[in-house]
Amino acid sequence: MKRHHHGLAWPRVDPDEKVACHFCDAIQDAPALKEGEAAYCGHCGELLYQNRPRSLSRATGYATAAIIFTILTHCFPFLSMKAAGAYTELSLVGSSIALANDGYPFLAFLSIIFTVIAPLVLTGGLLYVCGPLQYGKALPGSLALTRWIQRSEPWSMLEVFLLGFIVSLLKLGHLAELQFHIGLWSLVALVICIAGAMAGIDRRELWDRLEIAYRKNNPPATR
Amino acid sequence: MSADAPTGFAAEQGLASCHTCGRLSPVASGRCPRCDTPLHLRKPESLTRTWALLAAAVLFYIPAMGLPVMRVSGLGGGEDSTIMSGVITFWQMGSYPVAIIIFTASVLIPILKILALIWLCLAAGGKLGGSSRALATTYHITELVGRWSMVDVFVVAILACLVRLGSLMTITPGPAALSFAAVVILTMFSAMSFDPRLLWDQRRRMTTPAP
Repeated sequence: MKRHHHGLAWPRVDPDEKVACHFCDAIQDAPALKEGEAAYCGHCGELLYQNRPRSLSRATGYATAAIIFTILTHCFPFLSMKAAGAYTELSLVGSSIALANDGYPFLAFLSIIFTVIAPLVLTGGLLYVCGPLQYGKALPGSLALTRWIQRSEPWSMLEVFLLGFIVSLLKLGHLAELQFHIGLWSLVALVICIAGAMAGIDRRELWDRLEIAYRKNNPPATR
Repeated sequence: MSADAPTGFAAEQGLASCHTCGRLSPVASGRCPRCDTPLHLRKPESLTRTWALLAAAVLFYIPAMGLPVMRVSGLGGGEDSTIMSGVITFWQMGSYPVAIIIFTASVLIPILKILALIWLCLAAGGKLGGSSRALATTYHITELVGRWSMVDVFVVAILACLVRLGSLMTITPGPAALSFAAVVILTMFSAMSFDPRLLWDQRRRMTTPAP
C-alpha cells in the first residue's frame, strides 16, 4: 500500500476536526489541503496551516544532510590566523571555550546552547521523527522529542553566528593572515540545511501524522 | 483557499488550542490529548509576564550599553570598547556596512523590539489603539527579528577565540557582553509569553457594548 499519495492531503484521525486561529481564536472548519495549498483564517486572515509538497521526505533529506555537515563543522576549524608568530584557530566549541577561559562561563554555556545543542536537537530530532514517519511509524519518544524540536527552534542561532563571523572577518581583515577551512563551508551548508528542514514541514501535518502512527501502535482504548 | 466562515470563538466555548500541536480540545481536560501539553485558554499571566521580562530587559540594556563589551590589550596598554564606540570606530574607518550591521543589531533592533512589545501590551490592555493589521505585523516582526541581536555577543566570542597574540594583542570579553545576552534572551522570552489573542479579545470587548 502506498502511504503517501503525492498531491493529496495528509491523513487525519478526525477529518471533521475544527481549528481555532492561533491569532484571533475564531473557530472554523479545517479542510484537507492538496500539496502547495494553504488555509487562512476567515476572520483575521492569518495563515492557519499549509500542505508543503513532499514534506516528510524533504524534512528527512535536509536533516540527514544537516547531520553530516554538523559532524564536518565540529571536526574542522572555520578559520586560522597567523600573526606575529602565533597561530590560532576558530571553531564553534572553541569560541565558547574562549568565553569560559576569560571569566564568562555562563556566557559560554549560553553560546554552547545556541550554536551546538539547539541545532543538534532540531536536526537530530527531525531525522528521528520524520524518517520513520515516512513509513507510517513513530519511534518511542517521538512525541516528547517533537515538543523539544519546537521548543529549541528559536534558540538555534547558527545563522546569527555566521553573521557574527562575517563581521569579525571585516574587523580582522587588515590585521593578520587569515585562511579559511572546511569548517566554514560546512557551516554555511548547515545553516541552509537547517532552514530547509524547518521550512519543509507544517506543524499541524507533523502532529496529525504522528497521531495516526501512534494510534496504530497503541489502540485508542489504551490512550 | 480560505477556510469556511468562522463559527464563534474558541475561548467562549471553553475550547483551547494547544500551544504545541494546535489541536482544539476542551480546556477542562487539562492536558492536550494528543501531545500532553497543559492546556490554557490564553497563555497564563501573559501580560504580567511580558511586562516583567520587558522591565528586566530594559534594566539590563543600561549596563549593556555603558560597560565595555570587549577589551583589547597589547603593547600600548589596554583599551576598552563599548558597543557604541565600536560602531563609531567602524564609521570613521569607512567600513559603513559593518557599522550599520552592528548599529542595527545591537542598538536599533533591541530598542524597537522593546517599544513594539510595550505597544502590543498597552493595546492588549486597552490603553492604546492601533489597526489590527499593524498590530499583527508588529507581532510577527518582534517574533522574528529579536535573535539577530545576539550577533554582537558572537563577534566578541569569535574575536576572543582568535586574537590571542600574547603581549602583542589580546582581546577579552567585557561585562557588557553578558548584559547584552541577557537583554536578547529576556526580550525573546517576553515576546514568547505575549499572547496575540489578547489583542482580539480587547477588540471584541470594545466593539460589543457592555450589557
